[in-house]
Amino acid sequence: MQSKLSDIELIEQTLAGNQAAYADLVKQHQRFVFTLALRFCKNREDAEEVAQDCFIKAYRSLSSFQRQAKFSTWLYSIVYTTAMTFLRKKRVDTDSIDDENTYIQLESQSSGLNNNLAENRSRSYYLNRAIEQLLPDDAAIITLFYMGEQSLEEIGQALGIEPNTVKVKLFRARQRLREKLEKNLKSEVKELI
Amino acid sequence: MKTMEERLWSYIDGTCSEDERKAIDNVIAQDENIRRQYEALLGLDQEFAKMEPDEPPMAFTYNVMEAIRAEYAQKPLKAGINKRIIKIISGFFILSILTLLVLVLSNLHLTPVKFSVHLPGSLKLPDVKNYLSGPVIQGFIFFDAILGLFLFDAYLHRKNTSKQGSH
Repeated sequence: MQSKLSDIELIEQTLAGNQAAYADLVKQHQRFVFTLALRFCKNREDAEEVAQDCFIKAYRSLSSFQRQAKFSTWLYSIVYTTAMTFLRKKRVDTDSIDDENTYIQLESQSSGLNNNLAENRSRSYYLNRAIEQLLPDDAAIITLFYMGEQSLEEIGQALGIEPNTVKVKLFRARQRLREKLEKNLKSEVKELI
Repeated sequence: MKTMEERLWSYIDGTCSEDERKAIDNVIAQDENIRRQYEALLGLDQEFAKMEPDEPPMAFTYNVMEAIRAEYAQKPLKAGINKRIIKIISGFFILSILTLLVLVLSNLHLTPVKFSVHLPGSLKLPDVKNYLSGPVIQGFIFFDAILGLFLFDAYLHRKNTSKQGSH
């Protein structure tokens, strides 16, 4: 059985003109790139558009990728800038993305429709729900740290901020996530009683 | 000043200094409340680490590769021409012109009184008189006229397109 090629090997093959190698690179990173885009965009259609755009941009500038950093870190910095540009464009037509209440309202509307409380919901369900209610920056930092397995320095590189600032932001994001989790679980218990 | 929660998170993440780590070890061992707080945060950390990424649509990779293929297929021929080929062709012409120039100059005999050009006997130039007969000249002028009209049409077409684009 052929062993999985590393990112660098796939990049070298892509640069040599092998497009199939880039398809493999996309397959390796698509889940995480899509998840990260979803943290910013909050809906699957927009996240798909942003994630697709990221891979196209990455392909165009693959030759400029400096191999000192991880490919994933470089890719996540593209996700961040692409998502920010996308949200800025979208902001013209919609409510401000900084308005935390918008997400809470949207979430409470959807949870109101879904009254199947007897369903045995897993802890990951509540966690994902709480993450959806966070601000895009908080959700992205938590996703990068826990799912992307990125160090504080690498997150700093991807988001263009200092590692110490990442540390502070991560702390605050985790606090807010915990608050959301507690709030959601409390309201769920109340509805059940 | 860092709060206890902040210090505990640094301890869990492994980003605190060795001294700080030892200090927190002691606090956890001695203070029951802090130990409970630490365990709660550790549980939360383990829960966060179990998060699974979302799955994109099944055709995601295919769509990305199709978009890339379409983008590169749309690239105009002008942009696709290898510049090295252009350089080689222009180099060949420049070299030919320079060789001819050197050949002609080396065979030029300039005298102060009378200017005369002595070409070597072996160098035979084509007899242009035969080509400058009536039908050849007429054909040449006709071709020039057609070419002129074609270029004028292309110029008008370009002008018209740019006008429409600006509106």
